[in-house]
Amino acid sequence: MTSQTSLNGTTAARPLDGIRVADFSWFGAGPIAGRTMADFGADVIRIESEARVDGLRLGQPQKPGKSGYNVCAYFNNFNADKRSFLLNMSAEGSREVALRIVERSDIFLSNLTPRVIERWGLTYEELCEVKPDIIAAYQPMQGTWGPHRDFLGFGAVLTPTTGISHLSGDPDRRPVGVGTNYPDYAINPGHTIIAILAALRHRRKTGRGQRIELAQIESVAATMGPALMDYTVNGVNQDRKGNRSTWMSPHGIYRCADDPSGRERWIAVAIRDDAEWESLCALAAGSSFASEDRFATLLGRRRSEAELNHAISDWTASFDAASLAVHLQSVGVPAALVQDAEDMCEHDDHLAQRGFYAYLDHPETGISLYDGPTVKLHETPGYLASPAPLFGEHTFEVATDVLGYSAEEVAELTASGVLS
Amino acid sequence: MNQTALDGVRILDLTSEMGWYAGKLLADLGADVIKVEPVGGDPSRGRAPYWNGAPGRETSLRFWYFNANKRSATVDLGQYDGRWLFGELVKTADIVIESWTAAERSELAELGLDPVACMDAQPALIWVSITGFGLDGPRSGWQVTDLIAQAASGIATLAGYPDGSPMRIAGNQAYIVAGISAAQGALLALLQAEATGAGQRVETSIQEALSICQETAHLQWDFQGVSRERIGEQHRMPGIGTYQTRDGYIYSAVGIPGFGSPWSELIRWMDEEGQAEDLTEPVYAETFANFNMRALGMQEELAKLAPIMNRAQEVLTAFYASKTSLEAYEQGQARRLLIGMVASPADIGDDEHLKTREWWLEIDQPTKLGADDAHVRFPGPPYRLSETPAEIRRPAPQIGEHNQQVWVDEVGIPAEDLIAFAGEGAV
Repeated sequence: MTSQTSLNGTTAARPLDGIRVADFSWFGAGPIAGRTMADFGADVIRIESEARVDGLRLGQPQKPGKSGYNVCAYFNNFNADKRSFLLNMSAEGSREVALRIVERSDIFLSNLTPRVIERWGLTYEELCEVKPDIIAAYQPMQGTWGPHRDFLGFGAVLTPTTGISHLSGDPDRRPVGVGTNYPDYAINPGHTIIAILAALRHRRKTGRGQRIELAQIESVAATMGPALMDYTVNGVNQDRKGNRSTWMSPHGIYRCADDPSGRERWIAVAIRDDAEWESLCALAAGSSFASEDRFATLLGRRRSEAELNHAISDWTASFDAASLAVHLQSVGVPAALVQDAEDMCEHDDHLAQRGFYAYLDHPETGISLYDGPTVKLHETPGYLASPAPLFGEHTFEVATDVLGYSAEEVAELTASGVLS
Repeated sequence: MNQTALDGVRILDLTSEMGWYAGKLLADLGADVIKVEPVGGDPSRGRAPYWNGAPGRETSLRFWYFNANKRSATVDLGQYDGRWLFGELVKTADIVIESWTAAERSELAELGLDPVACMDAQPALIWVSITGFGLDGPRSGWQVTDLIAQAASGIATLAGYPDGSPMRIAGNQAYIVAGISAAQGALLALLQAEATGAGQRVETSIQEALSICQETAHLQWDFQGVSRERIGEQHRMPGIGTYQTRDGYIYSAVGIPGFGSPWSELIRWMDEEGQAEDLTEPVYAETFANFNMRALGMQEELAKLAPIMNRAQEVLTAFYASKTSLEAYEQGQARRLLIGMVASPADIGDDEHLKTREWWLEIDQPTKLGADDAHVRFPGPPYRLSETPAEIRRPAPQIGEHNQQVWVDEVGIPAEDLIAFAGEGAV
């Protein structure tokens, strides 16, 4: 692939130019890691197969009025800027092709289960036979060894098993998770990229590749350090405490006036010290809490926190949440509208001005929204050069340009079901 | 000792709690991270939970976890001499990471401590700024905390019950995700700088970094013009959702095509234990066998099947309630049924799998309170690199513990000058 061009037509060097990724992952945690590498210049070859279609290609949301493998935004968002290559690992002769991809790649990426990796013959030792300095990143759910090695999961199962569900939400209600497959998006792909980038630096210095094992349960549990240590050090088993903080008060999410269409509107407020509390009270003159001396100090506010939260809710109830957040921030009080998708995509002038979301023209879904890179490098920024690939779009191109097969060989491999 | 991945990389970490995780990730991979603190210490040092429940700046488990492997040097950036000292230190560094507020940023720039000037003087320098909303744009001056970032990034609205308020995800996840984003940016810029000699500014907006955790909410808006709402306890179909057990809760995700054993295996399990009741009738297995990913999104389809669904839910709820969480988790997973236990910190701390994998680390941590170090069990790293593993090589530093080492031995400030600087409160 020649140098890529960003949407505004500029061609800029990126940190991972010249790096090729053999992306044998699927669903969320793997493909998102691959996409970040693509954002920053890597040639990411996403291996797919008709025999094992990524569930996200069949998921929601799909472009209204369209169907097929290419119209689901869930898949498309995580696979922009990659090439899609069909390879049926159940077909005879497929492993040879897989190893040829590895031989011509710098990084191997997979979130398949240890069983499948072994069945397909893609363990680190096997990859090293064809590419001794490969950086091979595996993302098994619980690791490739240990009593739970074959346990299955995905984000919504990791949220409970790593303590996030137990510690999140209303203490008086059941722990129901956080409404998404949370660890799949930033935590597990993000940690994976950090490990890969560190390994890339080591390879540049020493010429040596290595094996990375990111057991997803360890990767998520590592984010819960302080709560885990309260148990391992003090024997204290923490419980969930809603939106309360251990040291800020008030600290919560309060209902504001519904918008004209009846949409619930909420505001988050976090008061870190007495000065911020005074600023809030100055804005809320006339409210039931503003003139109460007993709320003037942190201790006083914490002693009557439930009552205080009710009083604040009574005050916020008549306000437009977005304007109230702007007012509070203008006097230095941490506050924000609780944004929903409409706010994020339509009304957040700040995000829009920063150009966070990318809108790419996809052959089947038209102009569609994609997440922008989640870190900004001022001189060599990441960007999306192309939308998600169609299913198998680059099979011929990759087979000939990257793998060096002749057109006849490609035809044979296609006829025998290997490239399918 | 193993060679580390970030050998020879020096990082100055000026962050508050909001940015601690970035420096930790890089320090554990071998970077020499110097925590540059105000005289008297980073104000976020005193955050709960504490060793033995004793509050203090040298007893915070939270501080220890996120600052192990770092060294500490103090300096007062409000003083001219402090800024001069810091300038000398920057000359030895590859990367600076800070999480200044907009007000602090402009104040320091007015005093002459300007990232742009530092980078002009030192072209290979990488300067990473962690902010709530980014360095530009109408909200660049906004105050941020974990809660505020979770609200502004579109994820709080998805968590919680429909009849309750939006909910914060536990664990200061906004700061975790900020650290991950900033560490990625620092490493990308480092690869670039080591290849070309050119450093650059790197910027994490926590709002942006966290917003990808909206999952499909923003994508659904783009395609369908609908804002996804929080669903709380709603069971999309029997087998998917939170269930009570004898001693707690599990999350069950049985019946999603392509993920583990199907509902028929769940029925077999209940039957083997004599608790399947009438679910052995073929209509149940057949109904669940015909589900696919699309059907999960079709409310009308589900409504038609309500009598079958409700009965299956009733029997399954009673079945799970007869087991402990650990039994349901381990026995179910042995049948390749997707079940996760709602684990508390104690369940994780006692988990046999993590123990067998020797994930936990044992650290001797000085506390300043007593003569003896605290012997503490740390969570292990998020990943295992075969050649350059992430490791804890030293406990979290006490305030200014490495002043002599950093300022005198490494920056080359004469010892008598350091004494003078200390006398005026610059270090």
